[in-house]
Amino acid sequence: MPSNITMPQLSDTMTEGTVVKWHKREGDPVAPADELADVETDKATMPMEAFDAGTLAYIAAAEGRKVNVGGLLGVIALPGEDAQQVKRDAQSNPPPAAPAPVPTITPQIEPTVPTPAAPPDSSPRLRVSPLARRVAADQGVDLAHVQGTGPAGRIVQRDVLARLDQGAPTSASPPPAPSPHAPILLTGQKKTIPLTKMRSAIAAALLRSKQTIPHYYEAIDIDMEAVAALRQRLNQRLEKDNIRLSLADFILKAVAACLVQYPALNARFNPETSEITQFGDVNLGLAVAIPDGLIVPVLRGVNQMSLRDIRIRSADLIDRARLQRLRREELSDATFTVTNLGTHGIRQFAAIINPPQVAILAVGAAQQRPAVINNQIVPRTLLTATLSADHRVVDGALAAEFLTTLKATLQEPGMMLI
Amino acid sequence: MIEEMQRDDTVFLLGEEVGEYNGAYKVSEGMLARFGPRRVLDTPISEAGFAGLAIGAAMCGLRPIVEFMSWSFSFVAIDQLINNAANIRYMSGGQFKLPIVFRGGNGIAHQLGATHSHRLDAVYSRVPGLIVVAPSNPYDAMGLLKTSIRADDPVVFLESEIMLNDTGEVPETEYTLPLGKADIKRPGSDVTLICWSKMVKLCLKAAAELETLGIAAEVIDLRTLRPLDEKTIVDSIRKTNRCVIVDEDWPYCGMGAGIMARIYKDVFDLLDAPIARVCCEDVPSPYSHHLEQAMQPSVEKVIVAVKEVCYISPGNQ
Repeated sequence: MPSNITMPQLSDTMTEGTVVKWHKREGDPVAPADELADVETDKATMPMEAFDAGTLAYIAAAEGRKVNVGGLLGVIALPGEDAQQVKRDAQSNPPPAAPAPVPTITPQIEPTVPTPAAPPDSSPRLRVSPLARRVAADQGVDLAHVQGTGPAGRIVQRDVLARLDQGAPTSASPPPAPSPHAPILLTGQKKTIPLTKMRSAIAAALLRSKQTIPHYYEAIDIDMEAVAALRQRLNQRLEKDNIRLSLADFILKAVAACLVQYPALNARFNPETSEITQFGDVNLGLAVAIPDGLIVPVLRGVNQMSLRDIRIRSADLIDRARLQRLRREELSDATFTVTNLGTHGIRQFAAIINPPQVAILAVGAAQQRPAVINNQIVPRTLLTATLSADHRVVDGALAAEFLTTLKATLQEPGMMLI
Repeated sequence: MIEEMQRDDTVFLLGEEVGEYNGAYKVSEGMLARFGPRRVLDTPISEAGFAGLAIGAAMCGLRPIVEFMSWSFSFVAIDQLINNAANIRYMSGGQFKLPIVFRGGNGIAHQLGATHSHRLDAVYSRVPGLIVVAPSNPYDAMGLLKTSIRADDPVVFLESEIMLNDTGEVPETEYTLPLGKADIKRPGSDVTLICWSKMVKLCLKAAAELETLGIAAEVIDLRTLRPLDEKTIVDSIRKTNRCVIVDEDWPYCGMGAGIMARIYKDVFDLLDAPIARVCCEDVPSPYSHHLEQAMQPSVEKVIVAVKEVCYISPGNQ
């Protein structure tokens, strides 16, 4: 088989080179270590040596031509081969285009969207151990949202259980949006994407919100140990019913209970009529991330729901939100919104109010952090919740009271029974 | 053997050096003196000959025990075992039963070299018509041998050659143990270790060490390789969801491979990780002591395999 001469990689950063001068002509004999040509790289001009003995049958890259690393420069006919034929073959069957230079920079991955169960190889099939698959099916965990820690990204039992502990994908938190094969943009490339209708709508609404509502923010740290312990105990009993409560369920219930006590926050403001309407029902908007966007389905009457109801209904709502199969009444009449990036590991963030609502609560991750109790530093499971409120109609002190009540409720969950 | 020979006078022993020399490994010490030359026969070095002789004797109503000085030597008699002993009941339509026990030292002993260190487990376990037994300790060996001698079918009784000097408690009163039944030597809940013969001691050591790492290993001593006690294995894996097969045989088509193939379909849905195997390296048995040790399973290798099926990276706990 004739031997192809390809553009060598003469330096770490070299992606293409230019043949400055050929030292041999077509038909010349070649011996190993003979200098074939001078090649100019990004750094210097260097000689290129032959590895084979034979005849230089065909020159593919003329002097002055830029060729990518790996691209064809010429073909050596080995002893016994017909150089003319090799040349004809090479001319009629041009080798495939040289491989595009591989960028040495790894692409930036958005920190708030962890790649779920993305195996290092290019196969899109999920690798899941049989046991893990069974556990996921039993517990209603969507495997697309489980990070696999086994070899080649295999999802194993502990990964499914960890996902359940975090608050299964069926919670009020926006799950890691599956980023479909985000194509990598190479240096020099750019890509123009027109806004989808949904994206345009989101853009307009959020812009209007930020431009018209004077936002202010208050954050509070909440000790979640009591809730975590309670959740574990309750889940043991609920196992037979196939129900698994998540931390988010408790938070929703507590928020609803507190909003009943602070109706000023469970309100809608109409600046045109200068009227604030407070509501006896707590309809919570749950922010759900969907591919290329955000949708906020509404859970109605949360103040009257048990934890069990919250779990079942929010799971259903979120599933249908992702499939964009929500009914009109499920997208309207929210009195307050909760957005949760806890499963993404975000410690704290501030959200943008959805008018005509007057406030929104941003819930962070429950994390082990150092806390001070009785003058000692001890590890506790803490969570930071941030309230964004409309300063036209909600005063700072009121917002603060709401947050301290929320904190007290979550730290003594029995308060939700009263 | 003495008890069985006292109990039933059709039982007799034959093999190389079993009589006047009192046994190449002293297993039959004193038996010639006790039972005389009609019941303890010294044979010439002719495995094919005396195996065939014994098979014929069994067909005629006697119950021979054939001792191979080493199971590696059974290769020269393999035609008798696999073609005759295994098939006679079947090929005669049940006209002949074959109450014969072949026993001897199996496995890698100590620097006996590539020709004398064979593990015959898989060679005979694949043959329908044979029963294959491999005890791991004196108590099991005694109970299983008695049952094997009383069985009316040919039994390949694999004694671990290097363990012949091992001692252990054995009851004074008579007892037998069932064939085809595994024994859980150490219960656990995190991983199932399947082993037999020489590997049982190793697995128990590994289990003790795994305990310090917080992993509770269940050690199953198969005791009988054919027929395989699949139920005990599957019940265990149902509990642990993880399995490591530890055997002294070669990796390709070795005994462990056969067991793995047999159970996979039944345990697939129970597994959190593929079944791992620890076995000998795929090389002929070396003569050098250190190489011989290196090519065999070890406690370290078992622990690495257990960590693999528990998805614990080898450096961590």
